[in-house]
Amino acid sequence: MKKLTVLITVLLLVTPLGILYYKAQVLNLSLLPQMVDDVWNFHLSVRPKGEHTSFSFPIPKSGPGIRVSDEKIRRKDLEVFIDASSDSNLATWSSREVLRTRVTYTARVDLKPLSYKKIPKDFTKTYPKGLQRYLKEPKLLPEDDEAIANLERAILEGNEDKTSLARKIFYYVEEEIQRNTSVKTIHQTLNTGKGSPLVKARLFNVMARRQEIPSRIVVMIRMPDLKQQQEGTNKLRFTFANEVFLNNKWIPVDTNRGFFGERPDDFMIVHRNFEDVEKLISKKNVSYIIQAERSRINKYNKAEFKKEVVRTDSLFSKFSLYRLPLPLQTMFTTILLIPIGTLVLSLARNLIGIPTFGIFTPVLLTLFFKETSFGFGMLFFFVVVLVGIGERYVLDKFYLLAVPRLSIILTLVIMLMIGYSFVSSDLDFMFQKHLAFFPIVIVTTNIERLSIMIAEEGIVNTLKTLLGTLIIAVLGYSLYSIPALEMFMFTNPELLLTVIGLLILIGKYKGYRLSEFLRFRDLVRQKKKQESGFDDLP
Amino acid sequence: MIFHELKRLGILGINNRVGRYILRHNKRANYPLVDNKVLTAKRALAWGIPTPENYLVVENYGSLKHLQRKLEGYSSFVIKPANGSQGNGIIVIKEVLKEEVAGETRILCRRSNDKLMELDEVKHHISGILSGLYSLSGQSDAAIIQAKIDMHPIFNDYSFGGIPDIRVIVFEGYPVMSMVRLPTKSSDGKANLHQGAIGAGLCLATGATNNAVIRNQVITSHPDTGHLISGLRLPHWKEILELAARCYDMVELGYLGADIVLTPDHGPILLELNARPGLAIQIANLSGLVPRLEKIRTEAPKGLLATERAAYSMRNF
Repeated sequence: MKKLTVLITVLLLVTPLGILYYKAQVLNLSLLPQMVDDVWNFHLSVRPKGEHTSFSFPIPKSGPGIRVSDEKIRRKDLEVFIDASSDSNLATWSSREVLRTRVTYTARVDLKPLSYKKIPKDFTKTYPKGLQRYLKEPKLLPEDDEAIANLERAILEGNEDKTSLARKIFYYVEEEIQRNTSVKTIHQTLNTGKGSPLVKARLFNVMARRQEIPSRIVVMIRMPDLKQQQEGTNKLRFTFANEVFLNNKWIPVDTNRGFFGERPDDFMIVHRNFEDVEKLISKKNVSYIIQAERSRINKYNKAEFKKEVVRTDSLFSKFSLYRLPLPLQTMFTTILLIPIGTLVLSLARNLIGIPTFGIFTPVLLTLFFKETSFGFGMLFFFVVVLVGIGERYVLDKFYLLAVPRLSIILTLVIMLMIGYSFVSSDLDFMFQKHLAFFPIVIVTTNIERLSIMIAEEGIVNTLKTLLGTLIIAVLGYSLYSIPALEMFMFTNPELLLTVIGLLILIGKYKGYRLSEFLRFRDLVRQKKKQESGFDDLP
Repeated sequence: MIFHELKRLGILGINNRVGRYILRHNKRANYPLVDNKVLTAKRALAWGIPTPENYLVVENYGSLKHLQRKLEGYSSFVIKPANGSQGNGIIVIKEVLKEEVAGETRILCRRSNDKLMELDEVKHHISGILSGLYSLSGQSDAAIIQAKIDMHPIFNDYSFGGIPDIRVIVFEGYPVMSMVRLPTKSSDGKANLHQGAIGAGLCLATGATNNAVIRNQVITSHPDTGHLISGLRLPHWKEILELAARCYDMVELGYLGADIVLTPDHGPILLELNARPGLAIQIANLSGLVPRLEKIRTEAPKGLLATERAAYSMRNF
């Protein structure tokens, strides 16, 4: 290959990869939008107990490992105020009259597991003012105070940095305190060695603060597992864990489930400081129903991704396909796979040597499958073949001029479509009229060419070619069954350049096709026979 | 690699043919000269290269009206699309019959396979050609009605129902490989390898057959006449190669297939040219094209006359 060709090809192949790298590493964009499937639909409905004109309740807030979107909280007859000043959100509903009905809050919540693998030692002595509230020790009974002091001597001696101290306390509370939901005070816990999840969180909190580690109790919800979701027993309750402030970060700690520096993605934080909302969420004051289920639509969250792209404010955000109106987006998602289909086609034709009927017929057939359905596409294909054969043996006898003859076939194709729509009731795509127009003409010309081919090359050769066409069309169609591929091309259309690069490589291929191995098989065999024959001569 | 045998024998594959020889040596602008047989015939006339006489070129449907009057004068003819390929759309009429029905003269055409065609059928076929059914690109086309060529008696035992033709691959003006295509019953009298005609390789030095195949399978005798093919040696061999070599000067295509027929009276005449000649000729000859093409490309002297190039090929291949 010439140097220029090599240079251009390499550029075409490499540039998009470079752009991908830039997008991923520098702009921090994900290469694919999130699957909506990862997202929870969260519902909360609350009613205050007693006669109130206003009340507050915590609602989830985006933060590490949690992303909240599509919040719906407004109600016509109520005023809603969301206090987002801290790292938790608190919603306040207020009305002129006494609140008697439930208020609701819904949101989509995307949870990601949090994990801090190596937490370095922490020797922080002083903390900023904002953290002082997390160091305030609650008042304890003198005997409890002494019991804890004894404990500290036993388990914390010799540990100086705060990370190790927090870890030691965690081990103690996690392992030594048995879970028992009826034990509800620290005093009882210290005496019995048992405690409810909340008390365990409280004990950890107290012990951490005594070591001057900023600590807090977080209010969480454990998302239902698959079984619970299926059984519909998904009324959820609050549960509790802790966070400690180490190395300038809030590190999750869960003495009930045994996680230090980790939070699995089935726990959702509702509020990050229990002390603030203890009264608000108490069953004495409100009645609430919390529900969550996985949204089942297996789709990509394009809307969210669009925001992500726009936020980067880079060149790509200006030229992103996500900025197009939705119908255009849908069209391009389909269209962008066509070049990949042609890549498959080029491979099949030039490297393998699969015969196809016309050059782009397989691609068109793929699109037809895609736009209608695989079953219908196949059926239609076979009917079309039959019509082609029929044309050869019936219509030929009439000696018609070409244009009327083609028009008759076109009319037959339309009749076929009508016939099919009578037979099948679920023919949604028939109503999309652009679609019906698209294939008719193509199908017609293909029938005509098919009929000619049967006459000229015989039915066997024709069927072989049709089979090749069908194989490539099905291969192309299988590309569409990988939604990630479709989305990937749509998100990163610069990959089309890579496709061109690959096509240049295929176009430059001068070696043999696989089919030629078969085609010249006899030649090779005869030649070998001849050669060995000559060798035998004296 | 499974291809090493093909490589060793120097077999030319499709990708290689297109990428290395056709695209590099054939100027696109010159394709119409070979794709359109009307243009080929005009050019050939100017160059003094013998071709079959064109009786009539039908270019529009309107002229089909007077077809009977125009055809009455000929006792035989061939109908072919001007832009056809691989012999598609060609009909050979070996006899024109006239019959009187109710005071009107009606003509019936007897095809080379002895089937009778009514004038309406002939018109239908021509209108099919005009609408582009057989043309390379599918665009509308013209139909040529051409003098039917008689078969040279040497082929009497080697052909069934049609006239054999001789394919010569010409590279940069040098004949590099040749075969004779012998019609069979299964090819419907057509000299078309795809349809089952015999391809018999020809020794470039002598014009004698060296090997024969049907549909890629090696054979020794004609399936319909039973005659051994190895006994065939073409007369006027030097003239045939010189004619082929001159075609390069005429259309300036570096990689060219010339289809030549041998007539009883006028010797070899050019039937048509092909800018994308097939690869089956290698099977017919049991040898690969690549070494010969490369020899021409690297060793053959430039600027020779057609006769000198033909002589060079006869000496070397």
